[in-house]
Amino acid sequence: MPDDLKKRVKELIVRQLKLEMDPATIADEAPLFGDADGGLGLDSIDALELVLGVEKEFGIKVQDEEVGVKAFASVNALCDFVREKAA
Amino acid sequence: MDFQPLPHAFPFRFADGVIERTGPAQGRVRATVTADAAAVRENGFPAAALAELVAQSALLLEGGDAALGRKGFLAGISDFKVERLPVPGDVLTVDVAIAGRLGDAVKFEGVVTDGEGGAVARGAVTVKKGLA
Repeated sequence: MPDDLKKRVKELIVRQLKLEMDPATIADEAPLFGDADGGLGLDSIDALELVLGVEKEFGIKVQDEEVGVKAFASVNALCDFVREKAA
Repeated sequence: MDFQPLPHAFPFRFADGVIERTGPAQGRVRATVTADAAAVRENGFPAAALAELVAQSALLLEGGDAALGRKGFLAGISDFKVERLPVPGDVLTVDVAIAGRLGDAVKFEGVVTDGEGGAVARGAVTVKKGLA
């Protein structure tokens, strides 16, 4: 179920990156990386931690180029990526 | 494999050189704790330097010519546990294995043991290749 996946992804982000925030406060379309308003402001080290967490949580393999382009752009993008990889 | 010592010593390097490569970015590194290295803290080798030691070992095993200088830097430490602080004369072994990679960021798991196989430290470090 899509909402369950979003919840799971948000909880993964907070847990894996040890963020001190309520997962529910992460906006579905907010940019995960960079300094854009409303975004999480993650950096390349966070990206690696997130990739390792996604690979472990969902049993999928993440390639470099996929991350750089759009897969990890937002919670929605990451959910789409997980669904596609898990299909 | 012949042991090839590195040209630098504390405070520039803690790792002496690669003992054995067992795979891509995986292997064993030797580190000798000198009196100078231990003297920076009254009780011995500083705990934080053990994480730096694992990072240096990881970068040595990641490749490149150590004599040419810096190949990266310690960018993150996680789940790092120190069992005891090394003292002058300790010859440590650092076993390093890659945990994950994304672009120029690489995460390694490291285990530091002493000459008798006793646990010194273990944990994960993330290094970023290139200059800061």
